[in-house]
Amino acid sequence: MTTGEPAATAPRAPEALGGSGGTRSAPPVNQFDPETTQALKHLLLATADDEFVIGYWDSEWTGIAPVLEEDVAFASLAQDEIGHAQALYQLLANLEGRGDPDTIAYGRPPEGYRHARLLDHPRTDWAFSVARRFLYDTADAARLDALAGSSYEPLAGVVAKMRREERYHLLHMHAWVERLATGGEEPRARLAAALERLWPDALCVLDGIDGDGVLAEAGVLAEPMAAIRRRWLAGLAPELARLGLPAPPAAPTGACRGPGRSDDFRWLWEQLTMVRRSDPEAVW
Amino acid sequence: MQVYEVFRREREGGPMQHAGNLLAPDAELARHYAREFYGRRQESVRLWIVPRSAILDLDDPDLLQPPFDRSFKKPAGYSTEIKAKLAAARARAGEGEVR
Amino acid sequence: MSESERVQQFNRHVASGGKVEATDWMPEEYRQAVCRFVEMHANSELMGVLPEREWILRAPTLKRKLALSAKVQDEVGHAQLLYRVAEDLGKPRQAMLADLLAGRTKFHNVFHYPTHSWADVGIIAWLVDAAAIVAQQALRESSYAPYGRTMKKICWEESVHILHGRDVVLTMMNGTARQRALVQDALERWWGPLMQMHGPRTDPAKDRDLAWRIKNKDNETLRQEFLTVYVPRIREIGLEPPDPELGQDDTGRWHYTEPDWKELYAVVTGHGPKSAERLELRRLHYAETQWVRDTVMAAPLAA
Repeated sequence: MTTGEPAATAPRAPEALGGSGGTRSAPPVNQFDPETTQALKHLLLATADDEFVIGYWDSEWTGIAPVLEEDVAFASLAQDEIGHAQALYQLLANLEGRGDPDTIAYGRPPEGYRHARLLDHPRTDWAFSVARRFLYDTADAARLDALAGSSYEPLAGVVAKMRREERYHLLHMHAWVERLATGGEEPRARLAAALERLWPDALCVLDGIDGDGVLAEAGVLAEPMAAIRRRWLAGLAPELARLGLPAPPAAPTGACRGPGRSDDFRWLWEQLTMVRRSDPEAVW
Repeated sequence: MQVYEVFRREREGGPMQHAGNLLAPDAELARHYAREFYGRRQESVRLWIVPRSAILDLDDPDLLQPPFDRSFKKPAGYSTEIKAKLAAARARAGEGEVR
Repeated sequence: MSESERVQQFNRHVASGGKVEATDWMPEEYRQAVCRFVEMHANSELMGVLPEREWILRAPTLKRKLALSAKVQDEVGHAQLLYRVAEDLGKPRQAMLADLLAGRTKFHNVFHYPTHSWADVGIIAWLVDAAAIVAQQALRESSYAPYGRTMKKICWEESVHILHGRDVVLTMMNGTARQRALVQDALERWWGPLMQMHGPRTDPAKDRDLAWRIKNKDNETLRQEFLTVYVPRIREIGLEPPDPELGQDDTGRWHYTEPDWKELYAVVTGHGPKSAERLELRRLHYAETQWVRDTVMAAPLAA
């Protein structure tokens, strides 16, 4: 598993960041108008929340996965997502000029999160978690493709690193979908049922970003979300057809990214904020 | 599930060393699990993953540790004698022999 | 060579520091003793996941979330490494898990207790892992070489856990009064199990695992080593173990209130406060995921 991509951490000339070049910690100057800036903030928050929430659900498998080997693998995937969320929350904090990743991640009520509806479901059974992660990782890959050449350079830098880590996610998830689909009656039935249930919500991963058209015009995104979504689905179609797995519905319906949330997500939120809420003065 | 033995290179230029083993149902997942068990904290730059059944084992002492002297094949078999002979040669040279 | 001569030769070999590999000849009693020892260690890693797992969702910062998730992941990884060692001695993993779930085999006492607060996460990672690593470091020199090699890898990973735990504890001790109280409370609840963890004093002359050098240090030696390093580190940050008798004599030997060995025996035989619940949780998840092991993991990918 060698990487063909260029190093994601290549130093960039100070002027490319729009800064004076003298102060390393200066927040990147935002080159966009207020409308684009607002849309960019929303994109960062939604993407970070997606990574954060799937990282949380999948970390629930730690210690109870079907085999020890997969337990360790799934924990790595979940940790990667939390790391990606952290980097994206940091970009958002820099752009806002205030806050920090922890405050953004844990300091909101459940209605304040902007993750896609796909991530409102609990982990459920192994086939469900694999199906959800497969849909999420492949959609996320399409989104990252569209951000790789972003005109917002701090984001392009983070995305270059994320894409390198997501390669393993894709390898692992394609391997699992293939095995469940061809592994006999029960695995196949469980996988197909999970995909049927998840498809309408999966489309929301590439939807619900207010101002994505503006972002595309500004070169932050290569194209609007609907076009990224079509690209993603076209890429998946041959694999789904070959394995005889359920195809997606035409388009997302209903609210994709809150503010209404499932009871399952509210339970997760209670858990993930429990210690912080217990002592608001504390440093952890 | 079958057993795979894993070898790893810790840093560029280093040898491939035995790291341990793992169980996997097939070669593809064996690669993924090798990455997890022997590389997830960036401790390796390369892994070899080998089905245990493909390893040829040889530990026969008659072949590997034969009983007769093999010191003529090893530095230690010469170094003591060289030390003694060198001392003698130096002493002789020091006694003013004509060059 | 007769069987008894062969056994005597083997005993001399291990007594003089010789090593044994999986494919070497070994007396059946030795094989079983190593297998039993490693199996209980593997069981402990696997069951040890459960108390800390409850906090993976509750970790209060992104950094803590990552660290705790990685630590618990390591424990699962250690279970895998150790079950592999036992599997190569002839006992299939399925049989070991069946015995664990049926309560026929044991796991360490400390994993039978509940966790109450985030401070428990710190105390477990710092002190439970420290007490464990004292024993595990001695196992790196085990006569059974595959176990010794595995312990080298495990000790390397465990050293990170102790630092993570110490960092959690130090951060809380530097925090609010409420946080400090939580840490002291956790220490008081975990102290009894910690003092019992290495087991009662035994007569080294009668310990077959010692004679075969499967392990190299007796219980009391391990407990003394733990106390020597960690009591000062506990006290220097304003914590106090809940034992008025705890102290060192002129020779440096620690004295302490006799641990409750009846409690230890009851706990490791499955009568601890969380024994039944944790085994039930394992049985439940094991049953729910059986279909994956029976299908995908049972055969190579269909062509």
